[in-house]
Amino acid sequence: MSGFGGFGGFVLRRGIGTILTLFAISVIVYVVFYVTPGDVAQITCGPRCSPAQVHQVAQQLRLDEPLYVRYWHFVEGLVAGQDYSTGTSVEHCPAPCLGLSYQSDQQVTRLILTKLPVSLSLVLGAMVVWLILGVGTGVLSAWRRGRLTERVLTAVTLAGTATPVFVIGLILMIVVCGELELLPFPQYVNLTDDPEQWAWNLLLPWLSLALIEAASFARLTRSSMLETLAEDHIRTFRAYGVGERSIIGRHALRGAFAPVIALNANNFGSAVGGAVLTETLFGLPGIGQELVHAVNVVDLPVVVGMVLVIGFFVVLANAVADVLYAVADRRVVLA
Amino acid sequence: MRQPSLTARRVAAVSVSLVVAAGAAACGPEDNDAKASGGDSAPHQGGTLTILNRNPQQDFDPARLYTSGGGKVPTLVFRTLTTRNRENGAPGTEVVPDLATDTGRPNKDATEWTYTLKEGLKYEDGTAITSADIKYGIERSFAPELSGGAPYLRDWLVGAADYQGPYKDSKGLAAIETPDSRTIVFHLNKPEGEFPYLATQTQFAPVPKAKDTGTKYEEHPVSSGPYKVVKNENDGERLTLERNTYWSAKTDAERKAYPDKIDVRSGLDSSVINQRLSASQGADATAITTDTNLGPAELAKVSGDKELAARVGTGHFGYTDYIAFNPNVKPFDDIRVRQAISYAVDRSSVVNAAGGSSLAEAATTYLPNQKSFGYEPYDLFPAGSTGNAAKARELLKQAGHPNGLTITLTHSNSQDFETSPEIATAIQDALKKAGITVKLQGLEDNDYSDTIHDVKTEPGFFLAHWGADWPSGGPFLAPIFDGRQIVKDGANFNTGFLNDKSVNAEIDAINKLTDLDAAAKRWGALDKKIGAQALTVPLFHPVYKRLYGEDIRNIVISDWDGVLDPSQVAVK
Amino acid sequence: MSEAVTKAAAEAVIAAQAPGTDPASVPGASGARQFWRRLRAQRAALVAAVVVALLVLVALAAPLLTALEGQDPTTYHPSLIDSARGGVPVGPLGGIGGDHWLGVEPQTGRDLFARLVHGARVSLGVALAATIIQIAIGVTLGIAAALGSRWVDQLLSRITDIFVALPLMIMSLALLAIVPAGFPRPVLVTLVIGLLSWGNIAKVVRAQTLTLKGLDHVSAARLSGWGTWRIARRELLPGLAAPVITYAALLVPQNITVEAALSFLGVGVKPPTPSWGQMLTAADVWYQAAPQYLLLPAGALFVTVLALTVLGDGVRTALDPRAASRLRVGTGRRREHRADTAGEKETSS
Repeated sequence: MSGFGGFGGFVLRRGIGTILTLFAISVIVYVVFYVTPGDVAQITCGPRCSPAQVHQVAQQLRLDEPLYVRYWHFVEGLVAGQDYSTGTSVEHCPAPCLGLSYQSDQQVTRLILTKLPVSLSLVLGAMVVWLILGVGTGVLSAWRRGRLTERVLTAVTLAGTATPVFVIGLILMIVVCGELELLPFPQYVNLTDDPEQWAWNLLLPWLSLALIEAASFARLTRSSMLETLAEDHIRTFRAYGVGERSIIGRHALRGAFAPVIALNANNFGSAVGGAVLTETLFGLPGIGQELVHAVNVVDLPVVVGMVLVIGFFVVLANAVADVLYAVADRRVVLA
Repeated sequence: MRQPSLTARRVAAVSVSLVVAAGAAACGPEDNDAKASGGDSAPHQGGTLTILNRNPQQDFDPARLYTSGGGKVPTLVFRTLTTRNRENGAPGTEVVPDLATDTGRPNKDATEWTYTLKEGLKYEDGTAITSADIKYGIERSFAPELSGGAPYLRDWLVGAADYQGPYKDSKGLAAIETPDSRTIVFHLNKPEGEFPYLATQTQFAPVPKAKDTGTKYEEHPVSSGPYKVVKNENDGERLTLERNTYWSAKTDAERKAYPDKIDVRSGLDSSVINQRLSASQGADATAITTDTNLGPAELAKVSGDKELAARVGTGHFGYTDYIAFNPNVKPFDDIRVRQAISYAVDRSSVVNAAGGSSLAEAATTYLPNQKSFGYEPYDLFPAGSTGNAAKARELLKQAGHPNGLTITLTHSNSQDFETSPEIATAIQDALKKAGITVKLQGLEDNDYSDTIHDVKTEPGFFLAHWGADWPSGGPFLAPIFDGRQIVKDGANFNTGFLNDKSVNAEIDAINKLTDLDAAAKRWGALDKKIGAQALTVPLFHPVYKRLYGEDIRNIVISDWDGVLDPSQVAVK
Repeated sequence: MSEAVTKAAAEAVIAAQAPGTDPASVPGASGARQFWRRLRAQRAALVAAVVVALLVLVALAAPLLTALEGQDPTTYHPSLIDSARGGVPVGPLGGIGGDHWLGVEPQTGRDLFARLVHGARVSLGVALAATIIQIAIGVTLGIAAALGSRWVDQLLSRITDIFVALPLMIMSLALLAIVPAGFPRPVLVTLVIGLLSWGNIAKVVRAQTLTLKGLDHVSAARLSGWGTWRIARRELLPGLAAPVITYAALLVPQNITVEAALSFLGVGVKPPTPSWGQMLTAADVWYQAAPQYLLLPAGALFVTVLALTVLGDGVRTALDPRAASRLRVGTGRRREHRADTAGEKETSS
């Protein structure tokens, strides 16, 4: 290990890189949504608003200012916070303030704080499920390779990858909740309100999202394990009469540990924003669902805020993946 | 068909308020009650009503809501001067008093309307509702911060065109007078016999000035109705309503308010809502939806299941889906081309694309096929159910297109069954027979809406729809065909650029009538007269079918909005 | 340390996407003949290759096949559906028969076989073309980052980060709305997918290139004064072939499902053009009333993904014999005598 200094340097460099990346993303989103069709003031005001009213709303939302001025307000809010009027009083949006939703006049930061737990609940839970499903399938298929078990497992995980989540999710719901009545139809319950109901209600969303990811983990686990099994020390173990089960479980699995962790961190990051369809289908009020809605009504502050949060998680997850991989795999550290 | 809550929310508010009506006598309340309760058909107080919806109640400020007749969930919390009659079918299109003692007393030429509040009206905190609160509620709907409502108040009230609401202009609107705490007088800039209809909209709900929190008011609007907001989570995604103990059935003849509690859950996928209602498990047995219809696939399933089929409410709402022409664009400047297309249209395949004959009725009139609109059946360019290709070819030949025609049909890419690619494709296929080649131009929803409502970009041939702000010909015909409503620098709805002096004069004359039945007849005649211009090709009127949970009783579906009315439903 | 760490993590991602590929073990150009010999030795991969070839053939010959059936994908058959029941197909199994080999579509009565094979054109076409774009950008930027100066590397890596971090669905929604409606939709969807999601492959290629750069023969080439372009072409591309091709085999099905997801969100290919994604989107609610409507595109997609995955594994094994031989080393007790064939079985995962 190259010491704390090296690690500190790594964190610092990654940190600066992250900020620059997020900054660039915010500019890109601003520009892209600026040219997106849809008269924001008209949409916000309502389809039957008169031109004069639309003009008032545009002023209210500062849409009449040039793009760079609006972006500057955005940066200002991030750094120094922002005061705004509700009509009857003046409210303060503390830094880092991502602005106010055009549509609901809510603070975007607050909106994110209410949506984020939902998305994290979904993705973290799904992660556990995809690790169990993926790694489990991988282990089984490494162990039973070439046999029927392996082929069936392979086909199932690939079917999960090949079928869009809106199909899998809906069929799961129809069958499990509607026909078999094994579970109630999912509706989101806050973890803090009732942890047990939280888990039961998220079970199907977890499963649906996990099925998409499970195949790549199964493949990774299996191939890593087979590589380890082919290594010299395993042969030595075998020669000494160590049982196959122990070899698979204790030695081969260890070899799959590092790459699985790295891939997991990678996928976790992208799933925070990528769970749009799962959230939409299951009616989970998370980041993805809100974001699709915001895009459709050209609610720029919400879009920018949410995309930045997603970007933050992706970048963070990638950095974590790098570190975890180094910690988990001694060979890397030695290299 | 599924559009995962993609519709712009205010647009959605409009189209959602355009909903299921119970035209069919088959769904009278007695039928359903008998089935639901197994003998004991009388509805009882108590229990929790669950409402499963797609669109969250993001707008819960009475100033911002755009509703027909006061909305579905909002009507549980907001009372207005007048309201819709909560009865099945056609009687449900009548306007009846709510906070006021009558539906309004006009002066001789209907430019001044006076209302008196009932006695003993109270908010959820026990304070009295005054006429000044109603005035204030209307005034704040003019604030740009709280935009979103219908345009009529601004157009009709004297001196209101440039008013910016009480936050910027505390003097208020001189056009609304409150001589005493129970009287309110409206001064209009022209005769409007339909003012009582307008007074059903949520802008006429009282807002106590002391409790106004501006844009934050929607988090907890003060209730004047039978229920108050106890919880409003995630910007209207989950609402819990409980009884407003200060509300009294004695002053409210319309809302039955049987359940003790109402639990609104939204942000759900439409197919999930229908699955849940059909499974009817647990709390879903006492659930309804106020914004999700049965789609064709679900209808196919439900129609094969007697138990489910008995739990479907059918309703009609004044709504027309049609093809619109821009006569300033060639070749649609030639009435013969427009007529040819009217003849060539295959309404049965359009109806199929819209969900089949159970979910859509072929339309040959622009006005909805209901009496309250003054519906007068006519079919000026009879196309039969599958189109009259021969007649269309003949007309095209006369118009100088003997070898057919290639035209572009503009539609929205959003999959909502109205202006959707599916409808456009059905028309494309049908016009082939008449030698008309249709190219499709699909626009993203916002783009589509901007394009067709801007006089500079309006295409020549596009899909459109119109729904009633209240069940009368006025709000249906005037915005679309009144020449003085052509808007050059904003959203224009007179897409056919009709500016016919006799039409304008007739609109003015009908607006003077306070006898709404007499007015309806003349709207119907005017519709037929305009129809001869072939500026639109009416395609279909949607039929709304909605499932409800198995323990739901006292089903009331009026022709005003076509949906099962949550204020009438009982769960015990 | 950080450089090693980043590289290591990227290797893990490569491993995930191209299991068993050890970057350091990839030899130089191993000869096309050898490659084909090794590929042919794997039965599963051969079957997969045949399936993929058939799919492509079906897609290319779609007009011919539908002509043979006597149908086309856009004509409405209102008599074959029950309008009062939401437009469910009349007759058993969704109207399957001599006229309509796979039945008809609910609501319109359009021929499902015709829509399925024409849909294959769009779905496979979009997915393949998008993959080519992704690979082209990813490989170019990946190599450039690895071979360029520190400054170039930093710049390109940050750009790559941005594209990895931008949520694909959201940006697609916005971009697809910006482009004028006249632009051919399948091309547009291809471009949006291709131009937006190449970040991961660029990362993989960069890491792989960095490893190859350190290998003796590449270092030797550098020392003997070869130009960057020549090194890239002669020494690096052959070494990159295995992971890139394997990655591509995974990108194709992924792109098909992205196209489906875009359809679901309402910004995919537009009717009346059929695509599998669009069929799936329209069909999922019909699962109970007309199951075959959903099962056809879902089945087609599954077969495609399975075949491409197996083929990808086969290609990887053929390109990277050392990994393959490692896998072939006997570990199963009863299977040792079949060691030669075990490698093939492995590839079916």
